[in-house]
Amino acid sequence: MAAVSFHDIRKAYGKVKVIHGLGFDIADGEFVVLVGPSGCGKSTLLRMLAGLEEISGGEIRIDGKVVNDLESKDRDIAMVFQSYALYPHMTVRENMAFSLRLRKADSKTTEDRVANAARILNLDPLLDRYPRELSGGQRQRVAMGRAIVRDPKVFLFDEPLSNLDAKLRVAMRAEIKALHQRLKTTTVYVTHDQIEAMTMADRIVVMHDGIIEQIGTPLELFDRPGNLFVAQFIGSPAMNVFAGTVRGGSVEALGARWPLPAAVAAVARDGQAVQYGIRPTDLQLAERGIPGQVVVVEPTGAETELLLQLGDSQLILVMHGRTTALPDETVHLALDAEKAHVFDGVSGQRLG
Amino acid sequence: MSGRSRFTLRAVGREAQLLLVGIPVLLWTLIPIYHLVIFAISERDTATKGYLWPPSPTLQNFNIVLQQKHFFLNHFWVQLGNSLFIAIAAGAITLLVATLAAFSISRLKVRGGRTVMNLALFTYFIPAAFLAVPMYKTMATYGLLNSRWSLILAMVTIASPYCIWVLKQASDKLPWELDEAARIDGATPMQLFRLVYVPLMVPSLVAVGTYALLLAWNEYLYAYLLLSDERSFTLAVALGHFLSADDSPWELLMATGFIYALPPAAIYYAFKRYMVSGLTAGAVKS
Repeated sequence: MAAVSFHDIRKAYGKVKVIHGLGFDIADGEFVVLVGPSGCGKSTLLRMLAGLEEISGGEIRIDGKVVNDLESKDRDIAMVFQSYALYPHMTVRENMAFSLRLRKADSKTTEDRVANAARILNLDPLLDRYPRELSGGQRQRVAMGRAIVRDPKVFLFDEPLSNLDAKLRVAMRAEIKALHQRLKTTTVYVTHDQIEAMTMADRIVVMHDGIIEQIGTPLELFDRPGNLFVAQFIGSPAMNVFAGTVRGGSVEALGARWPLPAAVAAVARDGQAVQYGIRPTDLQLAERGIPGQVVVVEPTGAETELLLQLGDSQLILVMHGRTTALPDETVHLALDAEKAHVFDGVSGQRLG
Repeated sequence: MSGRSRFTLRAVGREAQLLLVGIPVLLWTLIPIYHLVIFAISERDTATKGYLWPPSPTLQNFNIVLQQKHFFLNHFWVQLGNSLFIAIAAGAITLLVATLAAFSISRLKVRGGRTVMNLALFTYFIPAAFLAVPMYKTMATYGLLNSRWSLILAMVTIASPYCIWVLKQASDKLPWELDEAARIDGATPMQLFRLVYVPLMVPSLVAVGTYALLLAWNEYLYAYLLLSDERSFTLAVALGHFLSADDSPWELLMATGFIYALPPAAIYYAFKRYMVSGLTAGAVKS
């Protein structure tokens, strides 16, 4: 186990810069998720940590030691790939034992470690099968088994669940999280799926265009997104965001007046252009309030999702339980001012 | 109903087209073999008389060949041995060279690898016959003339570019993550080659090795040029020598030819599963 630190990391392919000097620390035993849209540099960052990409600038330390010039095999890391990357000509047992075989570990140690990993992951009955005889979820477990056998300082996951179907993904998500709680190995996990990030991470690093937008625990990012990008990226369905202008302690937008949180009211200038954000779950239907027209009602059982037309924008409202509202009806919206998120209209940075 | 009959008609038409191509190709292939067999089992005086089937078929010719009981066949076993040795050595060396080259170019991404491959392929722009004399001079310079190694080296030179190209195309299709996983698992490039790359390339390796082996086995021009002593001839050259007499013993030539054709047939039969998948595997980039 070990801490990992990134210091002023840069990556360029020729003249194209993809990572522009970013730094953060990962504590020993922490589960950190790098999340962002495709092309944001999250995989590149992970691959630099793995030693699969050269580092154009900056320093990466594992357990206090600079690893920039170390080969992958000398960094004491294990990686799980999106495509599993199992050796097709080896059985599950041989796949898991491969790294120990390369290190010339004695057969007793190898056997024990493989047996131990197989027990943790319920792979015992599959040990003598070949990868082609396994389902997607089983293959992914073997890939994790291969990582566990190594007993590395750091686990790296590169979108490990993207090839699985939705149901299996949820199951494997829980399995990986349980595995981390059991082994407590420092883990860096890359995904583009913010739900994976929210459910698994101790801390999330939100990346976009080669920079870090925000670092924080899942609930910090959800409750206090630092900028417009994070606000819209984290949360599902995504936060409702629309442009407005501050006037007399509230925001004029979509033909209505929206309340400002106290902290924002204290700093916002009159006439300032802002982006006003409110999560679908923080909007409520009320007797009186801001009027909107129902476009679609989507009951999902426990919750009901309403798509509403306000001015030229469409807002989503998620409510517990059910509603009698019908399409084309006018309903009224209420919200708690403190639940609103207000961002500067120009910089997109959070106000208050 | 009408749609169904039209479909059947089209299927028949398609079948007819295939047959139209297939039957000539089949005849083209079988007629020489038919002649080879007819000659080989005919007695000397009936061989050239034009019978569709010899009046008294005999295996006497094979007996003569195997016991070296003819002027042209004095060194039959030595020459067969030469052919085998040269073909196997050329196949093995080509395979080694081409596999290592393809691995370096495709998997290790050695700088300049593409250029090397293109240059090697470029040699095919010059017909092998044009290179025969320079090759002869080169072998003379190194004192290799009349040695089996001259032909082996020449065949490796000729076979390698194509083999490298086929293997490189096949290697490119192996997933990159396997190399990365192996590197993280602690594999050195040689371990990667031995434990991951070669086992996964077996079908292509068999196809390419067989190609090089048969190329050397079938070679006539270079063998004729580089080997001048009867005891160092390959069987192909020895067969050519049958025609140097006015009254060539055709029945013995064909009997020897029949024996000469057996090893390639056996190899094709043994490896046909790999041949088809291997040769097409490198053909298209999918």
